[in-house]
Amino acid sequence: MSELRIMVNGRVRTASVPPETTLLALLREHFGLTGAKLGCDVGDCGACTVIVDGHAVNACLVLAAQADGREVVTIEGLAPADPLHPIQQAFETHASLQCGFCGPGVILSAKALLDGNPDPTTAEIRDALAGNLCRCTGYTKMIEAVRVAAQALRGDRDTGAAAASPPAWSEA
Amino acid sequence: MRAFKLVAARDSGHAVALLTEHGPSVKVLAGGTDLLVDLKSAADVPDVVLDISRAADLKGIAVTERGLRIGALVTHTEIMRSPLVREAVPVLADAAHTIGAVQTRNLGTLGGNLVTCVPSMDSGPALIALDACVAVAGPNGTRELPLAEFFVGPRKTALAPGELLVAIVIPTESLGKPCSFLKFGLRKGQALALVNVAASAWIDPDRHAFVAPRIALGAVAPTVIRAPQAEASLEGRAVTPEAMAEAGRIAATEAQPISDFRASAEYRRELVAVLTRRALAAACARAEGAR
Repeated sequence: MSELRIMVNGRVRTASVPPETTLLALLREHFGLTGAKLGCDVGDCGACTVIVDGHAVNACLVLAAQADGREVVTIEGLAPADPLHPIQQAFETHASLQCGFCGPGVILSAKALLDGNPDPTTAEIRDALAGNLCRCTGYTKMIEAVRVAAQALRGDRDTGAAAASPPAWSEA
Repeated sequence: MRAFKLVAARDSGHAVALLTEHGPSVKVLAGGTDLLVDLKSAADVPDVVLDISRAADLKGIAVTERGLRIGALVTHTEIMRSPLVREAVPVLADAAHTIGAVQTRNLGTLGGNLVTCVPSMDSGPALIALDACVAVAGPNGTRELPLAEFFVGPRKTALAPGELLVAIVIPTESLGKPCSFLKFGLRKGQALALVNVAASAWIDPDRHAFVAPRIALGAVAPTVIRAPQAEASLEGRAVTPEAMAEAGRIAATEAQPISDFRASAEYRRELVAVLTRRALAAACARAEGAR
């Protein structure tokens, strides 16, 4: 068995799991964090994306034992339900998700991007999301949302203001 | 995944000892982007997986008296961001950027890409064009060999049982050599190369001629290969569009592509001609920029 001690969403968690357990299985089945999704299970779709020590990775391609002692952020750790994280808020405001299956992975890829690059170009956003497949919404609205979230986060740093205000129609 | 025993190495010496102890069926785990996929699908799951991902002496990029030494565990993202790489061999950052997607570049390692040794690997051509060597540790010590000799066949390297790839060395003579890498895939993200090509050359400033040209072709032979006849056609020859186009046509005859569901052999051969010409032009542009 692999004895693990991992910082998950700011909280130290321990587990004892068989060596063949992936980080994804550890999060979903042992810690009950089902935000990271099991999609292709071979690193193509990005639905399992989580942030490990600041890097977006496919949780299906990491053994739980390899995450021992590291810091993991999942979608559950991004923000409480209210208020949402500015990236989540931008995805909601811009209708950037339909079924939502790819959403946690996409949003964590966007977070890893913006943490290191607060003002990315469209090409950089596309590059950052290239490992996250969406089969219903498409990518245009996601790219818009990441751009808006970047502005909101930059604004936060400058003024301490909240996330970008939603467009007028969203209040209807 | 079927059950296996997991052992972890502290450093490369410990890894070699564990490789010897557990015999030839042990599989080495670094970034996991290839191995975990194999472990999930393969019928013959190994009894033992050796996790080397925490072996500190296999990490890091440094200039040594031999050249630029890149530890086998250095990830593609680390290569893209390394100031040493961007200064001395920026083509390696270009090539790393074409691999997979952010998530797999954050996990996957240079050593892993070379050891998996698929013909379409994106790390190989630029390294071959820069005459890179690899350092291999084994029970009898460390040996170094040219990367071109490390590639033996599809998914087959020159690693003997008990040996571990520890580092990639770009020789001092190649640091700063103008070099370019071009990949042709069916999409920009997460696509395997139909063909990839690297070209390097020094440009003699007096005669404006090619010196020590190198052309490396990927995905068109059992391993990454050089195109020696195309290189010979350029040696000492003036830098002209005609010379580069001719080298492309010769390289196309040196490729041994196959037809598969991604592309036909004829299409790949045509791509070799075009990409070789463009890669040479890009390397020359880099030489101009450096002047």
